[in-house]
Amino acid sequence: MADLRVRMRLPLLVVGLVAVATVSMVVDRRALRGGPRDLPPWAGPILDAAVPIQKAITFPIDFVRHSWGRYGDLVGIAEENALLHERLHALEEENLQLREALVASGRLARIAEMRADFEVPMLPAQLVGSDVSAFFRSVLVDRGRAHGIRSGMPVISEEGIVGLVTATSNRASRATLLLDRQTAIDGTVQRSRTRGIVRGRGTDLVEFEFVARGGDVEVGDVVITSGLDGVYPKGLRVGIVTAVSEAGAELLRTATLVPAVDFGRLEQAFVILRRGPSMELLYRTEGGDAEAETASAGASGR
Amino acid sequence: MKRALVLAGLSLLALIVQASAGRVLAPQWCPDLGLLVVVGFGLSLRSPATGVGLAALVGYLSDLLSGSLVGQHMLLRMAAFAAARVGSRRLNLRGPVPLAIFAAALSAAHGLALWALVSFFASGSAPPWPPVGDFFAQAVVNGLLAPLVAAGVAWVCQALGDEEAARLMRLEPRKFPA
Repeated sequence: MADLRVRMRLPLLVVGLVAVATVSMVVDRRALRGGPRDLPPWAGPILDAAVPIQKAITFPIDFVRHSWGRYGDLVGIAEENALLHERLHALEEENLQLREALVASGRLARIAEMRADFEVPMLPAQLVGSDVSAFFRSVLVDRGRAHGIRSGMPVISEEGIVGLVTATSNRASRATLLLDRQTAIDGTVQRSRTRGIVRGRGTDLVEFEFVARGGDVEVGDVVITSGLDGVYPKGLRVGIVTAVSEAGAELLRTATLVPAVDFGRLEQAFVILRRGPSMELLYRTEGGDAEAETASAGASGR
Repeated sequence: MKRALVLAGLSLLALIVQASAGRVLAPQWCPDLGLLVVVGFGLSLRSPATGVGLAALVGYLSDLLSGSLVGQHMLLRMAAFAAARVGSRRLNLRGPVPLAIFAAALSAAHGLALWALVSFFASGSAPPWPPVGDFFAQAVVNGLLAPLVAAGVAWVCQALGDEEAARLMRLEPRKFPA
């Protein structure tokens, strides 16, 4: 009997672990579909522990990269400065003209009143590590549930869309990037208002899938979020069209986009402390997202 | 137990180093240290039960530090351990070149299996097929690093009291009775 028990130990262990892995996948898939997906209590500390170690490892890398980047920036700074001054003057003039037009139409005061409602609380977060699998595109950020971050919150930078928080622990979060194969965002071409779906391909480029009939997409067009997916606020930059597939007999055409965000150089991002739907993100509704509101109040007070 | 805990800690450290390296290197050029450590376990550890348990743990940690579903890497790391275990018994993995070729092939198979698993659990259409060049690049990087990582794992196992580790890795010649 003891001999049998010893002989069966390994097969039982393997069957048990395979069953645990399979059940975990099914449970996690359901959790992702359901929305919020906080890591279990025993998994959170591992992620929390990884953040300071990764920060320590990436500090010298970032230091060297910053120093080199600053040196590179110094080269040709005078010419760039003159160019920017010129652009600034042009934009100031354009701004003045637009303001005049708004005052003339009596809408400026109304817009000023609405501005408070449009402001979305955001939390800066540092990217400390990338994905351990080449197949997935996600990053670890140094802010977690303690800072008010929850799964399903969008992550952006000053350049545009970065991704979405998909798992949180107490002091860290994992954000799936726009580049990931599992990402899909409802987008609009800024110029022609052609709508479509932006999908990650697992490479440095993303795809924009739109209906061929009447779809007006050209190289150089800027694609922004439509806000209709209920996750990302409207009007955030997603990318610029670099190629458009030939119009054939197919129902859908595809354009290739270069993401607005340079993911290779991204070090800091902002987590929007509100979860979808997008209307709630932009317009405060009755009841609202009380939990996120409390969290954002806590974060801004920090 | 102590040996398993130390190996688990070192595996976590390897994954964290890999995640940090991923900020500098392109994903396809970043070595899959988790996979290489598991291959090292398959070649060095005497007890298959400890090896399977550690492989599952490395997979679970990889799932936590990755955008995958929890369980995907866990399952694949166990399969990688089994492949390395069988490979070390059936094939001549002595020397860096055969081990590098074996690790490169295993890396490519691992990538394919991961894509299949992700496709199976995808809610809509299957995710896009990864570029063949990326597969090839990571297989080459993993193959090049495999002998080094496997030797490191064997050395740690030996230092922790697994006398057979060095023999299994053929770092020491087998001693036959006179």
